Amino acid sequence: MKTILLFLIVTLAALLGTAAADPPKTSVKTLPPGAFEDDHGPSTAIFPPQSLTIRMNHRFHVNEQKLKCGACHKQAIESDSAQDRLTPKPATCDACHGTDHANLDAVKPGDDASGQCAFCHLGYKDGDGNRVAKFDIPRPNMTFSHKKHLVRNIHCEQCHGEVAEYEEATRDNLPRMRGCFGCHQHPDAANRGDAKSACETCHLKGGSTDGGRLRTVFASGKMAPPRWLHNADHGPDFVQRHKFVAANDSQFCANCHKEDFCTDCHDGRVRPRNIHPNDYLNMHAVEGRLATQKCTSCHREQSFCLGCHQRLGVSMSGPPGVREAGRFHPPKSEWSDAPRRPGHHSFEANRNLNACVSCHIERDCVVCHGGAGIGGGFNPHLAGFAGGCSTQFRRNPRPCYVCHEPGASVLARCR
Amino acid sequence: MRVRVPLFAGVLALVAPANAAADDKPTDAEITSDTSAQFYEMRSPTGETVIARRRVTTTLGVAAYDLLDKPEAPGGPTLMFRARMRYDADYGGSTEETNVSSYNRLVPGFQRGPIDLMYGYVEGRRFLKGWLGFKLGRQYVTDALGWWSFDGGQVKLTTPYYFAAELYGGLEQRGGMPLSTPRYERDGVWRGDRTGYDGPMWPSFQPNDVAPAYGAALESAGFTWLHGRLTYRRVYNTGESNVAEFANGLRGNAPYTYDGSRISSERIGYAMDGTLPTLGGVKAGFAYDLYVARMANVFASVDWFVTKRVVASLDYEFYQPTFDADSIWNFFQSMPMNDLGARVAWDPSDRLGLSAGLHGRVYRVQKGTQDVAGTSPNGLADANYYPSSSLDPMGGANMAARYHIGEGSVGARGAADFAGNGDRLGIDVFGDRTLETRYILQGRAGVWQWNDQLRPDRDATSFQYVLGAGYKLFPRSTVLGEWEHDMNRISGQRFRVMLFLTLALASR
Repeated sequence: MKTILLFLIVTLAALLGTAAADPPKTSVKTLPPGAFEDDHGPSTAIFPPQSLTIRMNHRFHVNEQKLKCGACHKQAIESDSAQDRLTPKPATCDACHGTDHANLDAVKPGDDASGQCAFCHLGYKDGDGNRVAKFDIPRPNMTFSHKKHLVRNIHCEQCHGEVAEYEEATRDNLPRMRGCFGCHQHPDAANRGDAKSACETCHLKGGSTDGGRLRTVFASGKMAPPRWLHNADHGPDFVQRHKFVAANDSQFCANCHKEDFCTDCHDGRVRPRNIHPNDYLNMHAVEGRLATQKCTSCHREQSFCLGCHQRLGVSMSGPPGVREAGRFHPPKSEWSDAPRRPGHHSFEANRNLNACVSCHIERDCVVCHGGAGIGGGFNPHLAGFAGGCSTQFRRNPRPCYVCHEPGASVLARCR
Repeated sequence: MRVRVPLFAGVLALVAPANAAADDKPTDAEITSDTSAQFYEMRSPTGETVIARRRVTTTLGVAAYDLLDKPEAPGGPTLMFRARMRYDADYGGSTEETNVSSYNRLVPGFQRGPIDLMYGYVEGRRFLKGWLGFKLGRQYVTDALGWWSFDGGQVKLTTPYYFAAELYGGLEQRGGMPLSTPRYERDGVWRGDRTGYDGPMWPSFQPNDVAPAYGAALESAGFTWLHGRLTYRRVYNTGESNVAEFANGLRGNAPYTYDGSRISSERIGYAMDGTLPTLGGVKAGFAYDLYVARMANVFASVDWFVTKRVVASLDYEFYQPTFDADSIWNFFQSMPMNDLGARVAWDPSDRLGLSAGLHGRVYRVQKGTQDVAGTSPNGLADANYYPSSSLDPMGGANMAARYHIGEGSVGARGAADFAGNGDRLGIDVFGDRTLETRYILQGRAGVWQWNDQLRPDRDATSFQYVLGAGYKLFPRSTVLGEWEHDMNRISGQRFRVMLFLTLALASR
């Protein structure tokens, strides 16, 4: 216990320290819409890390040379696929820099300083010839058409931010998903172009190779929801908290997960150790009583639990041939006799009836709680029960007849 | 690995539209299979009974995607088919346990090797310009009312007005029926297939019958920062049910059985979430049981995004169990649980995640005296009165940590829960790593203290370790073996051997 307290104190101190020592480094005003301060760019799963070996001063080209984006990124205007290469070809630079990139095996430098190889190619040294460091912007793992956005009058800065405020354009200047939601918030049936909110509008939907779901695993990383999206951050304790998300919007989960993923636990046949730790088989009675996890989320107790308990002879209703001679519950004097107190079976049942249902059938309770002539007559009903029992009786009288004869006088109050 | 599976052509011809066949469109289909073999022993608490479990579970899944021509625009209609069968055998089970003439050993409802259809449906999305979606076949519904499965149809209309309406109906999946599991029917009734049982034999074991059901839901659509779903479902019990549960004839008066269509469950639920990206979010919901007129579950969770990497949360949950309307347990006194928790999650880096929380529980206090007439059977003045107290609360703490290393991770999970009827305190550390993209190594070790306050003789400190090794055959396909060793005072040395084979073949 002390160890846990110490861990919590240290963690809290570290959290406060992190909060104080985490100042913003970039202004979100110039970053793409949806970016957070110092967010290190969009997800690497979608936009893999880049190797930028070209020095390219966007601020100079746009603000001083008055060049439009399309002057260099001509391909973007007609691009219909995220797989298109949209960085300028080397020859694009030749007109202004006096270079000649027509033959990449024999590039000719320009006359002035801006035409020298080292002016643009980082790390280039005289004598390197045509050898320059590899420039690599991997293709994004998404569906996107620049053309479709441009024809809808959505211009570069609306997705890329104020690139003209930067010398080097990096991953920081690539769109953030949160920014896309400025437009992509429309139901499938909405007549708003293609700006739907369905995930596969932008994300890659796999076919048979991905179980019909979105592709989530890429060489550059795994895709997972950010915390601001349904607050579904898949942190280390998400397995305990996912119920809040799934109860509300299971279709959101189903974009990435097949039913099989869920039913491995929720209708599972193999014990998931991240849910049931240690020698759970022998110790689960304690946790069943604590009800820190709701057994019924994954198990039907009158089938899954009861069947096993009957086979083991733990249950009162098990086959006579395997019924245990020993007593599972505390001694009768504590468990069944008056007075009632914590540890008495009525307290345990009132607080966690599910624990009883995992071993007992209703007959076991009727023995004492059944009405006159059937059971012992110990009334288990809630205070005020008689005032509202008529609706239940009308809709399903079957459970009433288990403990009361159809003609019993007490039933008249519920008819 | 991508393989063509000619067998699919025949299977898919049943569901693929005619134009697809005419175009000779390559079929986008998959076959999946998950097989596990588990070998271990189970001992009863006193050690009198030991049963050997020799379990083999295997599934076979088939799916076909884009049965219509794949839409050029993301908003185009799609049609797919998906099904999965399961065989779940326990070869350790005795034939006597399923022999209806063996009264001494028969375990009603137990099957040594049941086969069930987990799901099998055709799903269409975004038909009629995005308005219409549907599912036909055995399918799941998951929402504020929990997990549920039925055979039937579902239609969903998505409107341009930011909401969608859903209607569904069919037969609830019930145990004891062909190719079915009891997992998704409401709890509280011991029932199943009584074929071959003599009338008076095991009268408590109820015969199963078809369970008609229908439901409806209203759901928000389109917003990415707000979502809500209001859901309603009604299920009927049909057929005969035994109400005289004692085989020895304690009850002599009719009726011994109740027959007729009656409510099994009727529940309404709602769940929502809303998120403000720079501030935090809220999630809340409830499930109300209309048959017993009682709230079954209420939850609310508020998250505060303290910094870019820190989230603080407050959680509340109310819970009291409700059962199938055939069950007497709906009528038993209940002291609902009220759980309150506080939790902090911190991601110091993109690879490392930490979380820790505290929680506590109090029970609702039952007040008032019984108003049902009757004299206590044992003469005690309060024998029919079940007073309660909110004392004896339960509480504890938990923590979790995870660190990603390449194709693998290491982590820890600990918990400490204390209550008047039991405690558990312990931690697991675990790790897995895939080497050279195909060699899988994994391990887990944990030590836990289990205290059974009702039966202190069953307190134990338990140590466990698990070692596993596997090989990735091709994408989504692995073979894996695990060795588990548990050591504690209760079971001594306990071992479990597990073997897994996961296969996935895709046609593209």
